[in-house]
Amino acid sequence: MDRKKFGALAFGAMLVAAACTPTGGESAAPSSGGETTAPSAGGGESPAPGSAGTLKIGIDLPLSGGEAVNGEPTRNGVLLAIKQANAAGGINGYTLEAVEKDDAVNGVHDPNQGATNVNALVADEAVVGMVGPFNSNVARAQIPIANEAGLAMCSPANTGVDRTQEGSETYRPANPDARNYFRTATPDNIQGKGLAQYAYNELGAKNAYVLDDTEAFGVGVANEFEKEFVSLGGTIAKRDGNDYKTNTSFTSLLTTAKGLTPPIDVVFFGGTQTNGGGQVRKDMGSLAMLDIPYVGPDGITDLAKGGTKGAYITLAGVENSGNTHGSVAGVHDLPNAGTFPADYEAEFGTPPGAYSALAFVCTTILLDSIRTATAAGGTDMAALREAVRAAAFDGSTHETLVGPIVVDPNGDSGTWLSFYKTDPTAEGGLGGWTFVKQQNFAPGQ
Amino acid sequence: MDQAIATLTEQFFNALTIGGIYALIALGYTMVYGIIELINFAHGEVFMVGAFTSMMVLTTLGFTGPIRDPAVLAGVLLIDFAITMPLLGMLGVGIERFAYRPLRNAPRLAPLITAIGISFILMNIIQIIFGPSPQPTPQIFPLDARFSIGNASISFLSLFIVTVAAVLTIVLQLFVSRSRMGRAMRSTAQDREAAQLMGVNINTTIAVTFFIAAALAGAAGIVYGLFFGTISFVIGFQAGLKAFTAAVLGGIGNLTGAVLGGFIIGFVEVIAVQLGYGRWSEAIVFAVLIIVLVFRPTGLLGQQLGERA
Repeated sequence: MDRKKFGALAFGAMLVAAACTPTGGESAAPSSGGETTAPSAGGGESPAPGSAGTLKIGIDLPLSGGEAVNGEPTRNGVLLAIKQANAAGGINGYTLEAVEKDDAVNGVHDPNQGATNVNALVADEAVVGMVGPFNSNVARAQIPIANEAGLAMCSPANTGVDRTQEGSETYRPANPDARNYFRTATPDNIQGKGLAQYAYNELGAKNAYVLDDTEAFGVGVANEFEKEFVSLGGTIAKRDGNDYKTNTSFTSLLTTAKGLTPPIDVVFFGGTQTNGGGQVRKDMGSLAMLDIPYVGPDGITDLAKGGTKGAYITLAGVENSGNTHGSVAGVHDLPNAGTFPADYEAEFGTPPGAYSALAFVCTTILLDSIRTATAAGGTDMAALREAVRAAAFDGSTHETLVGPIVVDPNGDSGTWLSFYKTDPTAEGGLGGWTFVKQQNFAPGQ
Repeated sequence: MDQAIATLTEQFFNALTIGGIYALIALGYTMVYGIIELINFAHGEVFMVGAFTSMMVLTTLGFTGPIRDPAVLAGVLLIDFAITMPLLGMLGVGIERFAYRPLRNAPRLAPLITAIGISFILMNIIQIIFGPSPQPTPQIFPLDARFSIGNASISFLSLFIVTVAAVLTIVLQLFVSRSRMGRAMRSTAQDREAAQLMGVNINTTIAVTFFIAAALAGAAGIVYGLFFGTISFVIGFQAGLKAFTAAVLGGIGNLTGAVLGGFIIGFVEVIAVQLGYGRWSEAIVFAVLIIVLVFRPTGLLGQQLGERA
């Protein structure tokens, strides 16, 4: 076959392949129907279970497609908490019911679907709180809608600082003074601080080279790291930022850092592995800098073994991945687990997932708030929803799986960090992460 | 002081390496523009396909780790180049045949939009086949193979990449200036109709130009994979933009200019980083471009392929 013709054929085949590509559409949007509601009975005086009616807790998570691996164990944490509350006789005469919503479209979390779901939840007056979402961009779409309706929502997974702290007012256009969003995941600013202490105290680092990926998360974590590292007595040898989308090589940056005097003894990366978190370590390998420890936030600490698509160890290369240290915004061993792991396994047949406990804690806080709100009686659902929202932010202490916690005025309650380091010999030579320690960064701890 | 000199020496080789990769891609932009005055926006994506093709070739051959034996390494690299470059050349010819040739006499805007379309098609195809996340590429070149200049430690990989870029550039120069086909290319660039009247087969000449341009992009894809170790379906855009800038900087249509532009951009980027302005490197690259174009609107060497290859 002549060369030109073959090329033409190959190209034609590519065009056909492109034409057959499924494009994202709404046809496969999951229907979230199926929930049936017992009509709310009028408020009775007696606190017998169910006598006061049913209150609902909404759940919005990615529950279908590839992201169901995140969503399902998280949802199960909520379902278990609700089941246990009902088994204990409900709350002040109310029976509780979960309303599940799936925000994944074609297997990927979708902000528009999230907005649709939360609109459906707020339209149901029996819904007095919700757990979710899992993903940041879904949260950005949902918080304003829930805020307008005064619905308390608790995310077990969001860590972005702007959701609760500086800049959070943009998510509350309707009721700027009535916060409705809180979370149990540890916010990013605590990670930078915790990692600085880890690098200074555990790794003995004194002279740090700090890199960020120029995005909000990475820059924020790197700033917090710098601040704490300096206040501990360390020095920042140099600070650089690199946008991985426009420059995919850290070689020249690292060459400069390598030539600094006094020599750097730790490299900190604020960012995610897909924004160059793996590339930095790979380039450190090609510059013979692997003896310098490498530290990063949960953006690189994915706890995935080498070979997993897009994982840190895969991208850095297992031969370069050693001596990497990172944090995860949660607890590795529940300080107050009680029977939770056993109950969970008995109910769902698998051990709890990474966010099951934090979802359970979210539900615990919501249930506590419902208890406070319904103690006074009253049958006006709109008033009850508002009372639950106010109770969630009343600053009271909740006894939870992760110990006693308080939702602060911003809506943050998570203060735990877990630290991990890489082990290139784990997983039969593919490389993996091993748990080092966990620490509570709550004020006064 | 010794340390400072060592750092500068290492940075010099970093700049040469990155500049060499840009130069290889820039040659393709400049050749195609020189001959049909089309800014082939799909060229960056052709380079990206080259990086993935090389990854496939090496994985299929079963080489995923460093190869210590120099003879085996040379052999594997030779096979990689011998398979990837012609395959990519054929892709280039295919694109020209189906997307650009039918539009050769259409208004200038039509092929331009088509080129952008092709670049998205190539990106989507690779994204669907390999997924959106970055992929590690086989690092067959041992990274600890290094030599010293004073205190500076330079990897043989950098030297290899610079050599590949230099050899391919020289071969291309000789081909364009000495061979019969090269003469046909230059005449087509100068005046397509006159060349046709003189018996030059325009379609073949343009197809050969696309073949060479895409094959060079394939070579750039190979060395990119070796040097960076990670590829994804979006790398074509960034590298393509820098290489296109290099081609314009050197004078689009001018082969020497494209190579010069590639190295200048490599050096500007590394100097910016070394002086502590890493965050500004993009802005500095384009500031240099603007300043050059203000004083020399046709670029540094500013001639067309036809006038002087």
